[in-house]
Amino acid sequence: MHILLIEDDLEAAQYLEKGLRESGFTCEHARDGREGLFRATEGSYDLIIADRMLPHLDGLAMLSALRQKSITTPVLILSALGTVDDRVQGLRAGGDDYLTKPFAFSELLARVEALMRRRPATAEVTRLRVADLELDLLGRRATRAGRDIDLTAKEFQLLEFLMRRAGQVVTRTMLLEGVWDLHFDPQTNLIDVHMSRLRQAVDRGFDRPLIQTVRGAGYTLRDEA
Amino acid sequence: MSRRLRPLDFAVSRLASLYLAVFAIGVGLLLSSVYLLASHELELETDRVIEAELEGLRDEYELEGLSGLMQGLSLRADSWGRLGAVYLLTDLKHERVAGNLTDWPLAGNATAKWVEFEILARTEDDSTIKHPVRAGIFELGSSYLLLVGTDLNQQRRFVRGFRDAILWGIGLTMLLAASIGYFYVRRIATRVRDVAVACEQIISGDLGRRLPASDSGNEFDQLSHTVNLMLDRPEQQSHTLRATFDSTAHDLRAPLHRVRMRLEQALRHEPAEEDARGVMQSTLADVERVQRTLATLMQIAQADAGSSPLQSEPVDLEALARELIELYEPVSRARGLELRLLPSSSGPRVQGSRQLIAQLITNLIENALKYVPCGGHVGLGVERRGDRALLRVTDDGPGIPASERERVLRPFERLERDVQQPGSGLGLSLASAIVRLHRGRILLEDNAPGLRVVCELPAMSVVGVDKQPHAA
Repeated sequence: MHILLIEDDLEAAQYLEKGLRESGFTCEHARDGREGLFRATEGSYDLIIADRMLPHLDGLAMLSALRQKSITTPVLILSALGTVDDRVQGLRAGGDDYLTKPFAFSELLARVEALMRRRPATAEVTRLRVADLELDLLGRRATRAGRDIDLTAKEFQLLEFLMRRAGQVVTRTMLLEGVWDLHFDPQTNLIDVHMSRLRQAVDRGFDRPLIQTVRGAGYTLRDEA
Repeated sequence: MSRRLRPLDFAVSRLASLYLAVFAIGVGLLLSSVYLLASHELELETDRVIEAELEGLRDEYELEGLSGLMQGLSLRADSWGRLGAVYLLTDLKHERVAGNLTDWPLAGNATAKWVEFEILARTEDDSTIKHPVRAGIFELGSSYLLLVGTDLNQQRRFVRGFRDAILWGIGLTMLLAASIGYFYVRRIATRVRDVAVACEQIISGDLGRRLPASDSGNEFDQLSHTVNLMLDRPEQQSHTLRATFDSTAHDLRAPLHRVRMRLEQALRHEPAEEDARGVMQSTLADVERVQRTLATLMQIAQADAGSSPLQSEPVDLEALARELIELYEPVSRARGLELRLLPSSSGPRVQGSRQLIAQLITNLIENALKYVPCGGHVGLGVERRGDRALLRVTDDGPGIPASERERVLRPFERLERDVQQPGSGLGLSLASAIVRLHRGRILLEDNAPGLRVVCELPAMSVVGVDKQPHAA
């Protein structure tokens, strides 16, 4: 998995590069928008992480240029501007995800993995399955080992989000964004309460818990066995 | 540095002078045409009278001969003739035959029908003065010349008097207009100068200074009042800004100071690995707090600076409220609070940013969750009232004293009793900034007991709501 990191803050870039290498990615670094555009056009990368404010060529301008050349490599935008409008601008310019600085590295890592594993939507999935947990997306039914699980509409959405990313780490911010469409951080530990309720519904009474807490990062749903 | 405004440098005095000149020309034209018309009419009248009399005398001559004419002449000249009438009958050699003139008054042969000349008239004190006379001459039967005239002295005097009266009138009118104009120009110039002086003082930093205004209600006072209102805003903003700046510095200094102390200590003592972890974790927490504060401040600044959110869409307030209640309900329950939807009317929509309005509601809910003690109730309601959408968040917690309600909307301002509570003091100011950005207003009210926050936002018209879903 090959990542292009375009970031003008050298120390931040080194820190990210190190973290990404340790997590098993290979990484190249470009220091400004022009170099980034050149490398992204020439080389082949699985993901581009681009700072929004870059010297010579602004991050968004670079991204637009990239998309105009029909380069569809997923792009994760990093920005020190955290407002709603900036986010919208970033996504409109062709970004696939947007992360506001400062962020925890675990948040970045989770998003990088999510973007890398994202497959182009092929045939419509109607059924999701992890171990003995099954989700019928058409009938809006959840069963575990054949037994019905009683879920509210939101809990169903939450479970669907996790199951579509089974095995990946999903952060609290990703859940807020993906399930509630809220792109800011509430101060309260909302997600933890919802997850513990979902966990009660899904894992209670089974010896193999599927929903795991990943310390310092978020949650993951996977079959441990 | 104050430039003195002299009345003549002044646009109003130039305008007044222009008006005065136009007025003078107008009055002059009007009165001189009256003058010319009147004097012309008087001359015509004189000629008509003379002509009529000549006709009469000629008739007398033709009917009754020379004796009849002479009788008529002496009768007219002596007794009941008109005032200032002049008669002279001569033969063709200008030798006087009859009349009240002694000599033929014209040098040489008069061929013209109308003549003007001067005669010497005796006044009461026996001196003589020249009187102008206008006369008509008529040949009678090719043997006599008849001259009938009118002493114009009286008439000329009247016309002169009339002319003098007109000139005096124009002069006095101008004088009056000019002095009234000068008085007004001075008054306006004085007021403008006062305003300019006040403005210069404001520019040089005296933001509390206001334009002079009385309650007379004239245009100047109205303008001054409006400008003064306008000046209140930047003054308020600069106060808020300064307070925000001070509080920001204070709020950031404390955690940074802690971070520094901790790191210094750790460097000095080479702590055990476990202690080092602890130092790092608490440092990280402090840094996070600082970053969060800065992020919120930036959001407030952006909301305050923006004219409208970039991503503007119709936001269904009731649906959003339901969703957020669902999101917060478990947390509230865990804290022993009841969070519920107040009786709400469905449908009110607001044109704006869903994210920002969600953040507004979230901040208000979190605020309530933070301050309402266990066992309390928090309500969220949406209502449409006229062209406004009302968003209410109510609680039965400790509330906010009326005197403090305005203050707590400002950044970092917190109630004395809450200072020990965790929190940045930015929640309500961000809420307030979001409401302002959506051209609404936020009110803190007494919920008796507790706090009621009412956000009044401009609602979308119902027609717009109906159209929206069909647009795609």
